[in-house]
Amino acid sequence: MLPPTVETPDHPTSTHRPGRLRGAGLPDLLRSDLAGRAWTTAAFLLIFAGYAVWLGSRFLNVGARLLDLHQNIPIILLGFAVLATLVAGQFDLSVASMSTLAAFLAVGLAVEERWPFGLVLVTCLAIGVVGGLVNGLIVVRMRVNAFIATLGTGGILSGFALVYSDGAAVVSNPTSGRLPEWFFGRPTSLGSFTAKPPAFVVWAVVALAAAAVVVVLRRHRPQGVPIRRWTLGLIGAVIAILVLLATVADLPAWLGQVSWMILLLGAVAVVLWGLVGFTVFGRHLKATGSNPAAARLAGVHTDGVTIRAFVVGGVLAALSGVTLAATLGSASPGIAEPYLLPAFAAAFVSTVILSNGGFTVWGTLLGGVVVVWIGQGLVIGGVSYTWTGIVNGLVLVLAVGLPALLRRRRT
Amino acid sequence: MTAGRATGPAPEIRLDGITKSFGSHMALHPIDLRLEPGRVVGLMGPNGAGKSTLIKILDGIHSPDRGEIRLGATVVGSLAGRPEVAFIHQDLGLVDDLTVLQNLRLGQPPLRRAGLLDRARETAAAQRALAAVSVDLPVETPVGRLAPGERTLVAIARAFDRGATVLFVDEATSTLPPGEAKRVLDSLKVKAAEGATVVMVTHKLSEILDAADRVVVLIDGRVVEDAPSAALDRAALVRMLVRSESPAAAVEDAALTPGDTLVELDGAVGGAVGPVTLRLRRHEAVGVTGLTGSGLHDLAHLVHGSTPLAAGRMSIAPGVRRALVPPNRETQGGFDRLSVRENLTLGALDRLRGRSGLLDLRAERSTAGSSVERLSIAPPDPEARYGSLSGGNKQKVILGRLLLQRPDVFVLCEPTRGVDMTTREQIYAIVRTLTREGAAILVVTSDAEDLFAVCDRIGVVADGRLSPLRPVSEMAESELESVV
Repeated sequence: MLPPTVETPDHPTSTHRPGRLRGAGLPDLLRSDLAGRAWTTAAFLLIFAGYAVWLGSRFLNVGARLLDLHQNIPIILLGFAVLATLVAGQFDLSVASMSTLAAFLAVGLAVEERWPFGLVLVTCLAIGVVGGLVNGLIVVRMRVNAFIATLGTGGILSGFALVYSDGAAVVSNPTSGRLPEWFFGRPTSLGSFTAKPPAFVVWAVVALAAAAVVVVLRRHRPQGVPIRRWTLGLIGAVIAILVLLATVADLPAWLGQVSWMILLLGAVAVVLWGLVGFTVFGRHLKATGSNPAAARLAGVHTDGVTIRAFVVGGVLAALSGVTLAATLGSASPGIAEPYLLPAFAAAFVSTVILSNGGFTVWGTLLGGVVVVWIGQGLVIGGVSYTWTGIVNGLVLVLAVGLPALLRRRRT
Repeated sequence: MTAGRATGPAPEIRLDGITKSFGSHMALHPIDLRLEPGRVVGLMGPNGAGKSTLIKILDGIHSPDRGEIRLGATVVGSLAGRPEVAFIHQDLGLVDDLTVLQNLRLGQPPLRRAGLLDRARETAAAQRALAAVSVDLPVETPVGRLAPGERTLVAIARAFDRGATVLFVDEATSTLPPGEAKRVLDSLKVKAAEGATVVMVTHKLSEILDAADRVVVLIDGRVVEDAPSAALDRAALVRMLVRSESPAAAVEDAALTPGDTLVELDGAVGGAVGPVTLRLRRHEAVGVTGLTGSGLHDLAHLVHGSTPLAAGRMSIAPGVRRALVPPNRETQGGFDRLSVRENLTLGALDRLRGRSGLLDLRAERSTAGSSVERLSIAPPDPEARYGSLSGGNKQKVILGRLLLQRPDVFVLCEPTRGVDMTTREQIYAIVRTLTREGAAILVVTSDAEDLFAVCDRIGVVADGRLSPLRPVSEMAESELESVV
């Protein structure tokens, strides 16, 4: 609702500067905090609407868009890895290298060394733990700025991957070993987009998500509305939206396209959300990120919290490498390095949508999707994929910079 | 370049119908105010009355919903960036590592000779700037080494040196010991007499009545009193400020017998304090005061355990938990980006876990909600961002966090800094309740009122050493003020 801008006899607008309207007008509303968030969300929707008009069914192809998402799951997981440390107020630049190393190990240990695949997966995640631990210890014990520390460890991790592979790609091939078929190589393998979970599983997830939305929004009850009416209204609204999506947007077909990996991504998001939002560790993480000195004085073991944040980041980065191996079935030098930028973009987009300035798990998930689709829309439109870096960089800078610029009220 | 001289008379400032609301909360109802040159105007009111909001609007940090600001004859968006107007906030905006000279010349066109900095002229300019506010300081001293009052004076000197004729001082004297505050106030009075406009926001009644020519009282976002200070008396002002607030619960003071010793320092040294010998016992509040820089705050950290013991002995009874209201509330107190709820419950999370081990958000919300209500934190919304609260309300949240944490030993640094009178009484009542319930309390403060209101024994820290504690009944306020 726009506050009125009508002049009143008591408070005439200035005659000295006729161009300037005092009082709450559209500009003020645009500058409010709430509007800042709505504004960026709207801007993204506007971009997609633009794509829809420009590219038509080529962009609005649900199967193709979910395939984009499926193929870019390593990026979004890397976004989660970055998020874990950002919440604690630290930067982890080594995640992309960790992802590369894990991809090499996942393929290499199985194919070249013929380790049992279960052991391979455990090894990859253990490397993630160790890498995170080392990062954390360097930052906390040696008091090295995280930016510099992880720049260095990132170089070392990429270096390990290069030394291990001798600078060449590692590929699953018949002469040496193979990746297990449940993991890669068949239409029903985990890494394949055609591996779909049963429909009832997907529908159960949707129902749970809808219920979660109602539970969360129940708390944001406007003053004066009875709780019963508000809850019933919310349930009604959610059902109405689902029905609308089912009839207009063909939701069942949409859900039929969801792959096992996308579901896995959702599961990781739920676990991370629980960790950040519903555990003592998560709260300590936020407190440390918001004000380390105050957290320490309030009895939070900020050093331990910071180290654990890096460990969580390391594990998620390693998981990102494993999913990369699952989708590609191979690992090549520096494979995940270009993902660092979109991963940071996803995490930072989360601060301007669905949040009051903090990093959020669901915002990062959406941010990842936004980053992927913005780039993909241009590719469909005929822009070369070589522009991806420029587009991702622009999304990061503009998504974070524009709301801040709009909020600035100094005249 | 005009060293220490106002560039002509201060322009009149007029506010017409300024309003501001945050969400559904009306922070300022239409405010009309005229600020004329040659006066010191004292702006006061309870926590959350809108004083800071008003200053922030003038400083361009918030924009008003309606109304206009006039500087002289010009309508302006805000007073920010106007050479004739300066704002001095609690943090003063000085660079501690730079010298007085460098701070004074910062942002001014450098005085050069042959392309190089002309040190002699720069020094002379800095000295003139200090002289203009009747201060004499060695200009080569790093600002971080000055006494707090001297730092405030440097900030004031710099403001006037840059050509300001209108000065807004927001709580800049609230952390100063009485002697230093007086120096600052005297200097402000002199500048006003020379034709400057000075607006000072403060909670200290004595300051307002001594220094201000005119008093403006803001309550619930409205100007409820605007009169020459000569026409007001202290009692009337107190009535006005207290009437608007919920009445503080009267607390019966019963003499308590100290219980078990929880913390004992024996020749303990740590940070800039020591050797200190001190015992904290259940059912007892110990008060410690001293000048800033005396090691006063290091003593608080030492007792709390956040400064390691360097020498001597400190024994803590088994299982005793300690909690601290930190001395630097602005930087070490709370978590700006988190909600009031998250700030309040940080120390009590272990109790707020459900059977699954996950946090029970429902229990957390109700716990935070009752704290907000009990401490009458404004706005009364546990989900409000801590960073958006006024200083006094932040103080309440920090105290609320300690209360929920339920430690055995409370170390309270400056517990009533920047809070209004009702809150002050409320905090005193809480401390008395805590002592009755068996807590051991150490109040570390530069405010003599805190000592007399809640402490049983009092000591003074000077040069890192703590004087022997004496029962409060044996001390007179004048005696303490002469020490501090």
